[in-house]
Amino acid sequence: MSSTLLRVRRSLWIAFVCLGGIGLGGAHAIAADTSSSYNYTYWGDTVASPDAYEPAALLTGKDLGAGTFNKPSDLDVAPDGTIYVLDSGNNRVVVLDAGFRLVRIVDAFEQDGAADAFSNPQGLFVAGNKHLYIADTGNQRIVQLDADDRLVQIVDHPESELLAADFQFKPTRLVVDKANRMYAMAAGVFDGFMEFASDGTFTSFVGANKVTFTPSEYLWKMLSTRAQRSQMVMFTPTEFTNLDIDDEGFLYATNGQRSGSVRKLNGRGNDILKRNGYFPPEGDIRYTTADGPARLVDIDVTDSDMYSILDANRGRIFTYNGDGYLMYVFGGIGNQLGAFDTPTAIDRLGDDFLVLDKALGEITVFRTTEYGRTLNEAVRSYFRGDEDQAYQLFRRTIDMNANLEFAYSGVGKALLRQGDYAAALQYFKRSEDRSHYSKTFLLYRKQVMRAYFPQVMTGLLVLAALAIVWRKLRKMSGKRKVSSVEHNVV
Amino acid sequence: MNITSFKYPFYLIFHPFNGFWELKYEQRRTASLAVSCVILFLLVLTNVLKAQYTGFLVNYNNPHDLNSFMEIVYVLLPVLFWCVANWSLTTLMEGEGKFVEIFISTCYAFLPMVLLQFPWIWLSNLISDQETPFYFFFGNLSALWCVFLLFIGNMTVHQYSPSKTLLTMALTVVAIGFIAFLGLLFFSLIQQIVGFASTIYQEFELRK
Repeated sequence: MSSTLLRVRRSLWIAFVCLGGIGLGGAHAIAADTSSSYNYTYWGDTVASPDAYEPAALLTGKDLGAGTFNKPSDLDVAPDGTIYVLDSGNNRVVVLDAGFRLVRIVDAFEQDGAADAFSNPQGLFVAGNKHLYIADTGNQRIVQLDADDRLVQIVDHPESELLAADFQFKPTRLVVDKANRMYAMAAGVFDGFMEFASDGTFTSFVGANKVTFTPSEYLWKMLSTRAQRSQMVMFTPTEFTNLDIDDEGFLYATNGQRSGSVRKLNGRGNDILKRNGYFPPEGDIRYTTADGPARLVDIDVTDSDMYSILDANRGRIFTYNGDGYLMYVFGGIGNQLGAFDTPTAIDRLGDDFLVLDKALGEITVFRTTEYGRTLNEAVRSYFRGDEDQAYQLFRRTIDMNANLEFAYSGVGKALLRQGDYAAALQYFKRSEDRSHYSKTFLLYRKQVMRAYFPQVMTGLLVLAALAIVWRKLRKMSGKRKVSSVEHNVV
Repeated sequence: MNITSFKYPFYLIFHPFNGFWELKYEQRRTASLAVSCVILFLLVLTNVLKAQYTGFLVNYNNPHDLNSFMEIVYVLLPVLFWCVANWSLTTLMEGEGKFVEIFISTCYAFLPMVLLQFPWIWLSNLISDQETPFYFFFGNLSALWCVFLLFIGNMTVHQYSPSKTLLTMALTVVAIGFIAFLGLLFFSLIQQIVGFASTIYQEFELRK
């Protein structure tokens, strides 16, 4: 009896000592005790970061009263918060309200008086007017339904001299811009996204990826005979893997390349993504060669140019600001809440994230933490040009995560505007922001030169005067010396 | 050993042909050796300070990875390798230079590196982005000057023709590669032997 008591007491002691150790260890890195997330420094080191998002709920089709999801492949959130889940295996769309309550299920529509249904649809998009666009892949068409699920139009069999005669139109993802133009990603199309006018006529391709090949591949092709070459894999541009559209009508796209896998396309199809961050905005920079780089399967763009990409390889969601700085990372592959098996689509519901898992047929809801909210708002304030608020919020972000280097630049920019150059220099140095450092330094140098110009100039003049006097004195004494020498000689 | 010995390198870098000739045949060997050691020390010092104190805009060194000891090695080892490789080659190629002469002429040739780069460590803290080309210009100028002096030094010390000097210098670089390779091979083999011995010792200990 007493021995068990003793044992209990001893284990309590050990636990206590260990707890003390945790406290001591956590003291040197702010918020290290709660962090499981990470970020990258300018030097490419992985550093601890507090969680910006935490898993809040897990939704299955059964829980929602819609029956089990079967390989759902896409989800979209309307501006009013209505959630549309594309349950591909069951050929239906499940509509939820912002509180995750089932509103209705769209599994059929009426065409010319007859009922019609979907066949293995892969993508959907909800426009501002609540029209629902579905990439009905199996039926080789795009279906547009209005807010009451009545058929508006069907887009199929696109015709153009750009397309081969035997072209099979298999749309897999699509977005619609404010002018109701449709941009569809189709299987087997290497020329970019297919752009359709609002009446459903095919107009052109947008933003083809460039053909990439390594020098060794090129050498092999050069050395091969025509017969051998015909057997080899062709150099074709990589296909896109997903797309999204922002409020200004720019397309954000992901592809399967090893680098340059995220694009922001303007109307002419040119890539205008800013890559001013420490590393290209393409997911993890440190990975083993066996795992390989990120395999991006979805992209979600929100206000203030912030966008998130989903890496299906490691199940992580990376969020970048408009300049291309990594803000935060969350998610992972696993069995716990907040980890996935086959993540396939992400979308934002306000500032919350919805992540759709294809294999498990589940939606994980992520909510912001205090840190995540502050950082989001800081980036938004800065984007709006609200320098003072950005300054306050970036200060608070740094208090919570001293490792977030680009936040120091945000503070520095506010200090620069306030005219506190010396302090701004320190902050720009901390965030390795050389261009802003240089701009600030020019102003600072001018300020210092102006401040000390009278003293320095007076000093120089006095020195010059002293030098002249010194010379004269030496000349006089020199003459005397010479005369004394003469004296000796005589 | 007096003040003129220390003034001599400044004469040499501006008049290399006469300078190296007099260095070989007319200057006192011990004094020159002392001066070359001082120059080498200053070069090491410049390199260490440069890594740490060069202005932020042109300094891309990761401060977490800086190691003064390694910075010293980065200077001394190449100089040593150069002298050894050069001496090994020129003894076979009818060069007239002794090892000491090669060492002295090499060290004297590095003086422009110190003279130009040392002030720029501090000046680089006072420049903006637009003025960084000056920093890089002077850095490159000092390096070119140094190579030119090495060339003249080598030619004078060994009494070679210019083309033979160029050939020797190119071969010296190749020889440095060989020395580095042999050094690595030697260390790796020693490491394996030591590892083998320690494994056997462990085996005996565990079976006792």
